[in-house]
Amino acid sequence: MTAQRWDAIVIGGGHNGLICATYLAKAGLSTLLLEQRDTVGGAVGTSEIAPAARVPTLAHTVGRLTASVARELNLSGNGLRLVQPAALVTSIGSDAGPVTLWADPDRSAAELAAVSAGDGAAWVSFDAEVRALASTLWRLLLMTPPDTREANPDVLVSGLRFGWRYRRLEARLAREFTRMLPMSIADYLEDRLESDALRAMLATRGIRYTAMGPHMAGTSAVMLTDSAGNAGGAAGETVYARGGPGALAAALANAAREAGVEIRTGAEVVAIRDDHEAVNGVALADGEEIEAGTIVSGLDPRTTLQDLIDPETLGPELGWEVDNLRDRGVTAKVNLALSELPSFEGLDGEDGAMRLRGRIVIAPSMRYLDQAADASKYGRISEAPWLEATIPSLVDPLLVDGAAAGGVKHVMSVLVQTAPYALRDGDWDHEREPLGDLVVKTLETAAPGISKQVVARQVLTPVDLERDFGLAGGHPLHLEPGFDQWFAWRPLLGYARHRMPVEGLYLCGSGSHPGGGVTGLPGRNAARAVLADRKAAR
Amino acid sequence: MPSEENVPQRYDAIVIGGGHNGLISGAYLAKGGLRTLVLERREILGGATLTQEIFPGFRFSVVSYVVSLLRPEIIRDLQLPRHGLHILPLDGTFTPTDGDHLWRTDDHAHTMRELRRWSVSDAEAYEEYGQLMAQMARFIKPILAMTPTDPRRPDPRDAASLGALVKDFGGLSRRQQLTFIQLMTMSAAEFLDRWFETAPLKGTMSASGIIGTYLGVHSPGTAYVLLHHYMGEIDGAFRAWGIPKGGTGGVAAAIASAARAVGTEIRTEAPVAEIMTRDGRATGVVLESGEEIEADHVLASTDAKVTFLDLLPSGTLTPDFEAEVRRFRFRGSSGKVNLALDGLPSFTSLPDAGEHLRGAMSFSPSLDYMEQAYDDAKAGRFSRRPYIDTIIPTLVDPTMAPPGKHVMSCFVQYAPYKLTEGTWDDQKEAFGDAVVDVIAERAPNIRDLILHRQVVTPLDMERDIGLTEGNIFQGELSLEQLFFNRPVPGWSRYKTPVENLWLSGSSAHPGGGIMGANGRLAALKVLEAKRNGGAA
Repeated sequence: MTAQRWDAIVIGGGHNGLICATYLAKAGLSTLLLEQRDTVGGAVGTSEIAPAARVPTLAHTVGRLTASVARELNLSGNGLRLVQPAALVTSIGSDAGPVTLWADPDRSAAELAAVSAGDGAAWVSFDAEVRALASTLWRLLLMTPPDTREANPDVLVSGLRFGWRYRRLEARLAREFTRMLPMSIADYLEDRLESDALRAMLATRGIRYTAMGPHMAGTSAVMLTDSAGNAGGAAGETVYARGGPGALAAALANAAREAGVEIRTGAEVVAIRDDHEAVNGVALADGEEIEAGTIVSGLDPRTTLQDLIDPETLGPELGWEVDNLRDRGVTAKVNLALSELPSFEGLDGEDGAMRLRGRIVIAPSMRYLDQAADASKYGRISEAPWLEATIPSLVDPLLVDGAAAGGVKHVMSVLVQTAPYALRDGDWDHEREPLGDLVVKTLETAAPGISKQVVARQVLTPVDLERDFGLAGGHPLHLEPGFDQWFAWRPLLGYARHRMPVEGLYLCGSGSHPGGGVTGLPGRNAARAVLADRKAAR
Repeated sequence: MPSEENVPQRYDAIVIGGGHNGLISGAYLAKGGLRTLVLERREILGGATLTQEIFPGFRFSVVSYVVSLLRPEIIRDLQLPRHGLHILPLDGTFTPTDGDHLWRTDDHAHTMRELRRWSVSDAEAYEEYGQLMAQMARFIKPILAMTPTDPRRPDPRDAASLGALVKDFGGLSRRQQLTFIQLMTMSAAEFLDRWFETAPLKGTMSASGIIGTYLGVHSPGTAYVLLHHYMGEIDGAFRAWGIPKGGTGGVAAAIASAARAVGTEIRTEAPVAEIMTRDGRATGVVLESGEEIEADHVLASTDAKVTFLDLLPSGTLTPDFEAEVRRFRFRGSSGKVNLALDGLPSFTSLPDAGEHLRGAMSFSPSLDYMEQAYDDAKAGRFSRRPYIDTIIPTLVDPTMAPPGKHVMSCFVQYAPYKLTEGTWDDQKEAFGDAVVDVIAERAPNIRDLILHRQVVTPLDMERDIGLTEGNIFQGELSLEQLFFNRPVPGWSRYKTPVENLWLSGSSAHPGGGIMGANGRLAALKVLEAKRNGGAA
């Protein structure tokens, strides 16, 4: 094997790593992407949990993917097909009975009128308000944050764009913007809506993937971020990739290869080499050393800076900060292969199936969410966890094509919140199957008989997310999305412009601004930073 | 109705409410040359800072209990020491735990020894932490004295002070900048977890982040208040925490005396029924007695709800503004239990009388304990095992009780104003029992010492002192209700939509605590308006 020196090595083939590598290769850099697992995609994947039955491994919707990234990488030309059902989300198990929010806000308003006359009347304007505030926030998410130690001309431009967008908001909304961001989602929704069932259903959007409860400050910003740059509005996006999220990974990989990226799977990076000034290559688990002047890590900040970088290079001060990053997840995943479409109470027939095409939320009340979060706060698994499920086979029957022989007609993907990475008592290897049982039991209350329909089950605990997917602390967003790990100080103050403390090392994953969720922005913006530095060096 | 006296009832300025902020406003206005009248509903001054003899011989600071943040420029400007303000230092914080305790005092060597007993690394971190916090406090202090600017309509006059702030921030070290960001965004618990491992140290320090809020120690936004502990120290002359001689009412008495000295008229038992307006402009007040008093300016130190929704005639404000006021969150979360004692409590881990009783005794053994207290509040019930911060003022100021007897002042959280079940009047004594139970766990003799017990619930604070929902800060100190959003977005500069009506209480920036900044800044705004445009 001839030793080749690459212009750039991207570590980690998650969606951001793939996107970053593609932009680099498109700009003419010889780019090598190294993925530890045998497939690329990271948290964006599809698993076969029973013969011919495929289910979203972790993330189950892909609607936050930034349109310009999809366009620039020609993802549709590379095989990506997106499907948005008419129903965005259906809440189950509350006093109000099943409530569906639709892609059409008027239709949601009509449905809500039966739950609460006030909410029915308020919905369309509430939805419009969330869209307006989110599109303002979007300008902030699109920009590469400033570095506090030097002037950044690009920040002036993007800052002005944000300022212009902010000034265009009508006065009331402009005030709402600054007021809402630090609020708790529970307080914000209490100000806007009457029905507790509706509030709880929407509040899940402020705490999904986070270790926070709905009464914690800053959860409104999480909800607004989730609404920014996509068509979901107040209900939230529900967009499926045909063939499962793995199809998005495949399209990204196609785009990468087409741009000239060399992708190596099964290649675990164990160290990033540096000469205490700048990086110069990586070492693989099998002993191979590969040289490159630019290393971009799609891994989380803790793994990148604590496990791969020489601690001497990082220094004790930054080492301490990295050690204190808040990246302990509380999210687990339970995937089910089902012999029948589960029968949810009040959701029968065609109409029911139509509603089940959206995200299915089991979070019957704000109190329920509070209690669930309280348990995880103390390192316990809540006995009544809140769930967000999808049945993607309703929208995309090909996911179970040929699975009928094995008795599988549908697959269900269930995000379980309030499963803390660090359990106070017990360990996840013993709690894995009990968690699966708990989830099925919780579903049973809403869909009696479902436990008998489960043909196969996959349970991924936070520890599995760490071990199998390389997410330190099992946090699906790499870092907790709090204001203390946000914008110009995500992941660390002064290192938010994707440039890490060692020259030539960049971060392109969810641990950098604008954070997690499948937007592709960290990957694209990191590539921009790399290219800008190369241009400046010439 | 004609006035009862023949002198024309007309003032340059009327201040509604004789709490500390109202009195400070009154003093500054009179000092500025305005003929000023302060009107207090009750027969005594002080508002939430009042001190009363509830049981014969025992004087309780009914609601508040310590002074920490009173702005030094106010003490200076009003020459309060000359008017009897005497702050007695409160030395140390004693946190009893299961069979042990953590006792920090102003004696550095003692505190270090004590911390080392718990954790050597915490002792080291504690020094570094203290230095960093003092630096942070020095940076943040000017913000408290600033009039907040509205991001929507930036005021060019604020540009200089904002610019200075940005420049100061640029001048901080990276470590300091990071700490500032963390203080503004993190929860007290997460912030302290970065520094320390000793449970009672973290529990006790975290408490300052949640006092008066409906937030738990894990809620982002609570770290900032940790700084308040370090604000006092940098003035040198003024101790971080102290008990005013004569109770917190002593502060009000000193301010009232200073105000009278500069010509402020003060009337007690003069409840205001309505703020008079003409053509969208405040013109005076009507008392409940029917008496009308005219003034060019009306300053309300009452909270935003009382001022805008109760005192202004309906229809004065736009529905949008009223809706914003209704959104302003009060949610009182604390109560007070005042005990008249026959002797001193004796803690199991450090029995009998001692110096540790002369400071604060904090029932806050761990972060989990604090958070669990909040979990109860979130569910709409008082904490079964509450956080309690107690002091025995009689040990530093024996005038508060008969000889040999003592007063124990217990600040208690959480006591949510809105209960899911029952009413506060039903649960008042059960709440008092819960407090005594927690103290008795660590100081078992307390039960036998109690001669009298006064329980003050959030409902009592609302009824007796006029604090909406019993919020001691006249509106929750949560991030979205601070700075330019306090009390209503766009109306943070003490001005109100009614011309010549000003808000000067804790509902205005920078919020509650016995700081007085609000009363002072509002008065200065009025004086400035007066200079610029006469009566308008």
